[in-house]
Amino acid sequence: MSDLLQLIFSGLSIGAVYALIAVGFVAIFTVSEVINLAQGEFAALAGLVAISAVGSGMPLPVALVVAIATVTVVAVVMERVTVAPVKRLTTLTSIILTLGVSTVLKALMLLIWGPEGKGLTPFPGGDLLVFGVSIRAQELWILGIAAVVAAAVWWFYERTIVGKALRACSEQPIAARLVGISPKLATMLAFGIAGLVGAIAGVIASPVYFSSWDSGLSLGLKGFVAATLGGLVSIRGALLGGVLLGVLESLVAGYVDTGLRDAVAFVLLIVVLVVRPAGVFGRHAEARV
Amino acid sequence: MPRRGDVIGLGLFVVFCVVFPLVAPGSLVNVGVYAMIYAIAATGLSLLMGLAGQVSLGHAAFFAIGAYAQAILVTRYDLYGVLAAVVAVVIAMVVALLVGIPLLRLRGHYLALATLGLGIIVTVLATESEFTGGTSGIYGIGKPEFNSRTYDSPQEFFWLLTPFVVVAVLLARNVVQSRIGRALGAVNDSEVAAETLGVDTFRLRLQVFVLSAAYAAVSGIFFAHWLAVVNPNTANFPLSVKFLLMAVLGGLGTVWGAVIGAFGVEFLDEGMRELIPVLVPGAVGEVQLIGFGVVLVVIVVFLPGGLHQAWRMVLARVRRPSGDVSEGRAEATEDDSPVMVREGRPVAGSVLLEVRGLTKQFGGVTAVDDVTLDVRAGEILALIGPNGAGKTTCFNMVSGVLAPTSGTVKLNGVRTDGRKPHIFAQLRATRTFQNLQVFRSATVLGNVMVGRHLRARSGLLRGMLVLPARAEERAVADAAYEVVRLVGLEGERHRPAGELPFGRQRLMELARALAVEPDLLLLDEPMAGLSSSERRALARLLRRLRAGGMGIVLVEHDVEAVLALADRVAVLDDGRLIALGSPEEIRTDPAVVAAYLGVDEDDTAARAAARELAAQVEET
Repeated sequence: MSDLLQLIFSGLSIGAVYALIAVGFVAIFTVSEVINLAQGEFAALAGLVAISAVGSGMPLPVALVVAIATVTVVAVVMERVTVAPVKRLTTLTSIILTLGVSTVLKALMLLIWGPEGKGLTPFPGGDLLVFGVSIRAQELWILGIAAVVAAAVWWFYERTIVGKALRACSEQPIAARLVGISPKLATMLAFGIAGLVGAIAGVIASPVYFSSWDSGLSLGLKGFVAATLGGLVSIRGALLGGVLLGVLESLVAGYVDTGLRDAVAFVLLIVVLVVRPAGVFGRHAEARV
Repeated sequence: MPRRGDVIGLGLFVVFCVVFPLVAPGSLVNVGVYAMIYAIAATGLSLLMGLAGQVSLGHAAFFAIGAYAQAILVTRYDLYGVLAAVVAVVIAMVVALLVGIPLLRLRGHYLALATLGLGIIVTVLATESEFTGGTSGIYGIGKPEFNSRTYDSPQEFFWLLTPFVVVAVLLARNVVQSRIGRALGAVNDSEVAAETLGVDTFRLRLQVFVLSAAYAAVSGIFFAHWLAVVNPNTANFPLSVKFLLMAVLGGLGTVWGAVIGAFGVEFLDEGMRELIPVLVPGAVGEVQLIGFGVVLVVIVVFLPGGLHQAWRMVLARVRRPSGDVSEGRAEATEDDSPVMVREGRPVAGSVLLEVRGLTKQFGGVTAVDDVTLDVRAGEILALIGPNGAGKTTCFNMVSGVLAPTSGTVKLNGVRTDGRKPHIFAQLRATRTFQNLQVFRSATVLGNVMVGRHLRARSGLLRGMLVLPARAEERAVADAAYEVVRLVGLEGERHRPAGELPFGRQRLMELARALAVEPDLLLLDEPMAGLSSSERRALARLLRRLRAGGMGIVLVEHDVEAVLALADRVAVLDDGRLIALGSPEEIRTDPAVVAAYLGVDEDDTAARAAARELAAQVEET
């Protein structure tokens, strides 16, 4: 019993990380129909920047802010320099383009930080033992911060006029423009949000799961699977999808085989796309026209 | 149809392949061998991306599957190399089939990310499994030997690869120019139009995906023999990125491009590996990735067509295109004889299309509400109604573009509602579009040839081998020319379709639909944008088609033209069928008059429609 609880709990904590990365995919996709393959790199980069910032003597909270701000700027610059200039952005070109950016980011991280993975200093607090489940303080931080960020993102999209306009942007560009959001600004904003949540995911995960130049690849893929579980257009679905994927992975690793952990996302992706392409949590979407 | 440019390109390449290993220093020949090996995989990926419009981010997975299968079969089971290669390729194709079947029905993102996942899975499985030798992989794979000649030096191996690369490129080129390539090119321009002409997008994409996996496997087989070792790195992500970059650099779907891209990327790779550690002391690992990433971004932003596009731009500077464009005219003869008569077509007057209770709701809005009507062979049925009455939505549901919320559609007795447009086309019915769906990358004749898709049979294999499909291709071109002549576009048949004026594009869409040889033809505002002489010619053509036994449904805003042409008129208002009868009955039908002239005083929509109608009558 405590085994099961332990597995579920560690699944929740990694799932929260996937969930935030998934939110980044959704934020960009709903506005510009671009799947941003550099989403995982945002997380990896934030982790590495934070590690260096701490290494240079900054206090942890300052280092976190620096890392998150850096990555948010990188995301916006990425949009301005690479996505915005392309006139005819098809699915194909958007994938190639964001793959290119993700590759550049990976290589830069490799050049700056080298090939070894590193972990950020854990956030303060002592580890706990509850009902036979050992809980690391960092995992509580992950869950807490992810919950706050998720709530903030939800509030932004559901309750603020800018957020609502962003959601409407892909369907109703004119309505969005009426409240002062041009498609250009909306795309920039979406990348900013994706950078922000990706970076937060990266720094909270780094003390437990480490950051390295290529850790963004698998984080990105899992974030995408989580977003797909929610139908790619729903923030709520993406959050639930991330948690579900995390828990499933943890259970498979615990009860079946550790080596198969990375296979879960892929199998889940295929199963979901075959059975419910519109997402597990969403209503059935209209057939394509 | 061999073109001069292809022959010259082939000749140059063969000369290069013979000379390069003789003159280049050994280290360069070694790089060249890898370029040749990867060129095969890149060619397949270029086909997938250029033709099927899909991306594989894990093409190294198929490369690795080919390499591992070959290594295992040759070292453990002592299978003869060529036989092992066949098995290895088949294994990779089967995996591609299993991945492709669920994913190729969906939008391009999913295949991309799923193949990325596949790459990770293959790496994980290869690392974890004893069978594949774990992290150290499988070694001791012998160098190929034919006729007691061992191909073990870079020079020899380069020459051994030459014929394979040439054949791979030629086959790919043939695919691009075949019936399948034409259809997929059309899909990339307008998926919905290609499907209404009978193109089964999913099936063709799947075939190209499986073919591209086979290319990757062949590449992996050579790799295994050349390196003598296969380890989990063969499936890794940087290699997939490399394949992708090769295809993109050369220009997607341009077959020579992938080969040129392969050499470019391999030399870039070598250069970066030597340059980066000099620039950044202590740099280790896959540092060459930075070059890959930068080139990918630069190409997409500045040169989406790759080196091929750059080459075309240079050529265009050198020789200016000739500006001779002869205006074709619609046949002005007074010929009223039936055209496009078909053996075995349902006799005039029998019911072709049965629509029962057709309803479509978008959210809370009912766009089409319980529409029931029949269309018979040899009649022209006009569908009229104010803007937003649901005419185009009706067409979309009947032709399979949209699934109805409820209700049924039967064509020649077969249920078609909710099925894809190519099924509708297979049952000999097709349509045109109100918002034109031109295949911009093709000529006028090329557009119409897509309409012949179902009237030809050559699949991927015959297309690859060219010769068996040759007679059929000629027949397709001839038949397409006949239809082009019928609508009066023969003078413009070699022009790029995107360059035609609006009205001529409409006629071209009609020709494209007629090329299907349909029994039932749905035309969505065919008169819009046509000159008055073109309108008269079109009306005459429609009468001749009717005389030939075709059933025609016409959505048209030009009410007077419609009433003069149609045998029966159906009137839609606010999604409901409010009248159905002869033109005379419709003119005097009180409901129609109310809908069009706004007698019902509290109905503002009807009044708006009446104003619009008055404006149109003035126009004509």
